[in-house]
Amino acid sequence: MARAPIIRIGEVLIATVQEDLNDQDAVDLQDELNQQLERTGSSGVLLDVSQLKLIDSFLGRMLRDIATGARLLGAHTVVVGIQPAVAVTLVELGLELTGVYTALNSEKGLQLLRRLMASERARYRSGNERSRIH
Amino acid sequence: MSSGHEVETNREARTIEEQRQTILELQTPVIEVWNGILTLPIVGSVDTARSQEMNEALLQKIVDTGAEIVILDITAVPVVDTAVAKHLLETVSASRLLGAEVLIVGLSARTAMTLVHLGLDLSGVTTRTTLAKGLQLAFSLLGLEVVRRRESASDRLAPDGLDMGV
Repeated sequence: MARAPIIRIGEVLIATVQEDLNDQDAVDLQDELNQQLERTGSSGVLLDVSQLKLIDSFLGRMLRDIATGARLLGAHTVVVGIQPAVAVTLVELGLELTGVYTALNSEKGLQLLRRLMASERARYRSGNERSRIH
Repeated sequence: MSSGHEVETNREARTIEEQRQTILELQTPVIEVWNGILTLPIVGSVDTARSQEMNEALLQKIVDTGAEIVILDITAVPVVDTAVAKHLLETVSASRLLGAEVLIVGLSARTAMTLVHLGLDLSGVTTRTTLAKGLQLAFSLLGLEVVRRRESASDRLAPDGLDMGV
């Protein structure tokens, strides 16, 4: 049973991670996300981790891996809803999630995803490297 | 049995405790200078305990206001050594995880030299010399622009029907 239901809205896959996510669930989530990305060709992934009260080194690495994997499948990933205490812990663990886009909440995350998707489309249209990083 | 000396000592201890509390409160004001822009003026030296306090206050404020830009003003930090830089970078990373971009402003020539000499890498962080420049950058990041409506600021400041003699 998946601990993180994935729903698809438009071009975006939204996964809401539940509080009691364990290591195996995280691996399953990555699997499921990649399969859905392959099947649907979505160009954005929104990972809502606001329910998590702790992100350990394994999960931190998983988040990064999910983002890297999704990128290879042509999608940007935005992790949203990291709690302040969780952010402090991650930094203390040395897991700054470099290369992973983050946003305060789902709304801001979707805005960021739209911007990322739009700038990517613009880049391919104009054919030159005018990437704009958030 | 308590002597007068003991009472005196107790009172002094209480005063020190109260002062410590006041300093603690003064240490971490997080100011919302504009919708979506927070400023943290850091005055004095930064140690681990203070940095934690600052982080906590700042992150909570980011959540409360939904701010997207944080400006750390280190104008009044006398010395930026390895430890202070580490604390600042932790604040930057933690804020980023909440989706806020951090600018460090108020770097003096001496601070810049110190950082270079210590071999500290702040390349991942946007820095500016003054708070004004940081604010300007923050505005442009948010797509805002400050425009002058009149020729001179004194025109605007003069109340109607009052000759400022300018």
